Amino acid sequence: MSQFTSVPVPKADAVAIQVMAPNQVKLSGTITQKDPSSDLAGFFKALHNAALADKLGEVRADVSGLTFVNSSAIRLFVDWATWVKNERGQRYTLRFITSRNVTWQKTSFMALMSLAKEVLAIEQVS
Amino acid sequence: MAPFDRKQPQPPPSGGQSRISAARPEFRSATPPETPRSSGKMGVPAGSSSKMQVAGSGSSGASSSRDGGSLAGERSLVRVVCNAGSGALEYTHAFISAYAADHFRGAVAQRLSVGAYELLSNALNFGSVSSDIVLELLEADQLVGVRVSNEAIQARISMLTEHLLKLRNNAEQTFMEELRRSVTGGIPRPMLGLARVTHEVGLTLDFQVNDRRVSVTAQCRR
Repeated sequence: MSQFTSVPVPKADAVAIQVMAPNQVKLSGTITQKDPSSDLAGFFKALHNAALADKLGEVRADVSGLTFVNSSAIRLFVDWATWVKNERGQRYTLRFITSRNVTWQKTSFMALMSLAKEVLAIEQVS
Repeated sequence: MAPFDRKQPQPPPSGGQSRISAARPEFRSATPPETPRSSGKMGVPAGSSSKMQVAGSGSSGASSSRDGGSLAGERSLVRVVCNAGSGALEYTHAFISAYAADHFRGAVAQRLSVGAYELLSNALNFGSVSSDIVLELLEADQLVGVRVSNEAIQARISMLTEHLLKLRNNAEQTFMEELRRSVTGGIPRPMLGLARVTHEVGLTLDFQVNDRRVSVTAQCRR
């Protein structure tokens, strides 16, 4: 049984989260709460651990529907990329699906890519 | 709360007043720079005033700013008054974003949404609890912007000034540094917000201090 799809989805204000087999998580809405880590950091960490346990080659994080996130939320994505980057042995590619129509995503994910390019991939959709 | 900058602020060159202008050549400033300073710290002692402009990354020229960061012929569309430490951030941001989306084209509204959030977040976190925080959504003939003003202690003003100088010198590099510091932590804590405003969404920042009242305007062409 896939551990990835068994990760409990947190209830977070203003952001809808779906985990889909075999390797995709989709976030849409906005992340504006002052400390989103209370809801999302543990969730991302659980997805990361599940992806390793499932020996996934790639995790697809679809953030194209996230129209706004605050700086604290960007740090969560940086953390996730760092976990993968620091993983010894088997690790996966973290592929962010971004929207070219959402202004904040263009620069932030390109910058994130430069911090962890060996484990990240960015895909743009309209 | 982040530790304060412990470096001593330096006095302005003369007369208790100083000004920094970093407007790009194509920008038109209605008032000429009085005492430009090219680098280094700029302290702002009580009773003085100071101004600075930080052009946004990729900006195609966003300013016919007048003295004090006001947009030429500006009109205030929305004005919200709140207090430091209050929970006004999320609902104010939601309203400003919705209002901007209804009044401006999509890309501009998105940029203003980021600007409004980050400026208000800073003011709520670091503003003085003894005075109002005022957020305004502004429009002029060619420009739109969001301005947040609040009172702050001298150490916070010095820290903000130093950070803006870094952004003015190289917004992209500062953005990357702050992003890296998000991973490693550090003191003072990462300050990604204003770097997002200038680099990520390319708004031009106008910064003004009058005594202890700080006013930051993030603007772009409409």
